[in-house]
Amino acid sequence: MHRLKSPVERLSPGQKMVLSALACVLVAIVAAPLREVLDLANMVMLFLLTVLVVAVSLGRNPAILASVLGVLLFDVFFVPPHFSLAVSNLQYLITFAVMLATALITGHLTATLKEQAAEAERRERRTHALYEIASKLAGALNEAQVREIVTPFVTAEFSGRCALWLAERDFSGDAAVEGFAPAIADLVMASGLRRVDHDAGHALYLPLKAPMRVRGVLLVQTPERLPEADLAFVEALASLVAIAVERLHYVEVAQRSEVDMATERLRSSILSALSHDLRTPLTVLIGLADSISLAAPELPAVAQDKLDELREQTRRLAGLVGNLLEMARLNAGSVTLRQEWQSLEEVVGSSLKLVGDALGRHRLRVELPRDLPLLRFDAVLIERVLCNLLENAAKYSPADGEIRISAQVAGDFVELSVSDQGPGFPEPLSGDLFDMFVRGNGESTTPGAGLGLAICRAIVDAHGGRLRVANHSTAGASVQVSLPRGEPPLIEPEGA
Amino acid sequence: MSEEKPQVLVVEDEVNIRQFVRLALEAEGCAVIEAGRLADGLRRAGEGHVDLVVLDLGLPDGDGIEFIRSYRGWSEGAVLILSARVEERQKIDALDAGADDYLTKPFGVGELRARVRALLRRRSRQAGEASPVLGFGEIKVDLARRLVTRGGEEVHLTPIEFRLLTMMIAHPGQVLTQRKLLAEIWGPSYVESSHYLRVYVGHLRQKLEDDPAQPRHFLTETGIGYRFQPGP
Repeated sequence: MHRLKSPVERLSPGQKMVLSALACVLVAIVAAPLREVLDLANMVMLFLLTVLVVAVSLGRNPAILASVLGVLLFDVFFVPPHFSLAVSNLQYLITFAVMLATALITGHLTATLKEQAAEAERRERRTHALYEIASKLAGALNEAQVREIVTPFVTAEFSGRCALWLAERDFSGDAAVEGFAPAIADLVMASGLRRVDHDAGHALYLPLKAPMRVRGVLLVQTPERLPEADLAFVEALASLVAIAVERLHYVEVAQRSEVDMATERLRSSILSALSHDLRTPLTVLIGLADSISLAAPELPAVAQDKLDELREQTRRLAGLVGNLLEMARLNAGSVTLRQEWQSLEEVVGSSLKLVGDALGRHRLRVELPRDLPLLRFDAVLIERVLCNLLENAAKYSPADGEIRISAQVAGDFVELSVSDQGPGFPEPLSGDLFDMFVRGNGESTTPGAGLGLAICRAIVDAHGGRLRVANHSTAGASVQVSLPRGEPPLIEPEGA
Repeated sequence: MSEEKPQVLVVEDEVNIRQFVRLALEAEGCAVIEAGRLADGLRRAGEGHVDLVVLDLGLPDGDGIEFIRSYRGWSEGAVLILSARVEERQKIDALDAGADDYLTKPFGVGELRARVRALLRRRSRQAGEASPVLGFGEIKVDLARRLVTRGGEEVHLTPIEFRLLTMMIAHPGQVLTQRKLLAEIWGPSYVESSHYLRVYVGHLRQKLEDDPAQPRHFLTETGIGYRFQPGP
């Protein structure tokens, strides 16, 4: 990639000037003995040839020097009177002028041509280099490989240092990358514009601008200030790196989601197996308990009581297992909300029916405004929330206490409250109530595992809603579920 | 009641569940045939006349839905599904495939008997004449005259409300999936527009239920659909 320079190209400008002067002097010395033989016009040709050679091999400035020096040497050594700047015939002044002009023009044209050729060659080389690095980057499998490809490339091309700062990995302040000023990198990241850090020599910070976003910063530190042409080149390099990094990012995202999906599948298959294995014996228990009275309808009162108790406890166990499985499902993140536009009144109705017997002798007051808007939620899950809240209310309320369900529109939310006339939540109210296995009163003899509110909270959170608890000033607890209103779809009027 | 015992096929892999289901069915006066596997169940169903199939969805040798699809190909017999409550989707698929009702595990014998009774009663009624005047609670519906009265007073229903009402009372005690109702009443392009159903069922409840928040006739099967419960 890095082309070897010819010996002449490695000379400093001063050395090139000296070389140019030596060439002129050499020509003068060689031509001097021939001055009686050769015509002066041919001498002029010799000097012009020298200028041409110098222009081709050493460049523009040495060529100018050779032009001037050639004219002087020609005057001193070849134009009579010899060894003096004086001129015998004024006509020679025209010769000098033409000679100088020709030499300068020839030198200039040649040097320009040569420079253009060199520039074209350089461009061709850069294009090739970019092409090569692009194909290498296309094969990079990870970010380390991207670094391994870019760093030696920059070192070779600009004999400079290079560092790569990737937004996703290194932005936690990777100052370990030597010479990297995080403040400037941040600025470049934010603005997407390149910057030069003048405090640290010639440090160029380039944003890695990929189609989706700025993916990081490429730092190129060079011993000298980069010329305009090279700037375009490093920018091209930066965008190649950016595309490579973005491609890697998406490859990673795809792989991660594949792994997630596999994990998810495993989780939900374990959960459904577990659910099946737990529910089957429960179904058998409840069924058999019920069947005993079928098989022997006339049981003694004591046995009948025991049977009823057995059935009741089994149902409670089934409810508990249901809650545990639900919590496990929610925690495993394997619940996808089946959100539809639902009527709150309907879900309240079905929850009341489900809870049914558990409400027992409690008085029930349902106060739902007729004009409640439809809300977007997963009816099965919100029903679970309401059932849990109603069961709690029934559990903690005195036998003849009132359970009240009310709802109202409040701004962008609809608030649904379930209140009871029980002892209320222990003061001070704290967020702990929503944690798993935390119960309002740890010593309480009321059965329960403290899962109810945790499940409610998880479900309501998943809907972008809020769950709040409060105690009434008189007596009783109140739990409020706020669900976002959204914009219900229009219902086409009938018979239009 | 017919002189012949209704034939019920129980397809369930758990012996213990099969056992108490058999007990409950026999208490309802049914003759019970048992099968532990899907293939076995299909064979038994094909062997003789079956009035009702009680089917577990999670069978060891296949999905219960396959059973329903195959069974519906040649029989109109009622199908009651037993399923764990994990996936609503599964129940909907089974109902859409042609099952008539479902029970969620764990269930009590009382619930099971009530469902079986309702399904068998509907079968026997379908055989007879459909009456043009139906009643539930204090509501009377005269299908021929498209007249609905509540405690003697006429109730005005819009055409869609009336269609929804007739469809629901035509399937007493049976779960109708959202999809089925939407397709039937609003048309196939509305099967995803469940909000129509919410609004119109709400209207029916407002007009025909004593307490719309605690309906006794137009019941919600959350996540699945609706069930019309005649009753007093």
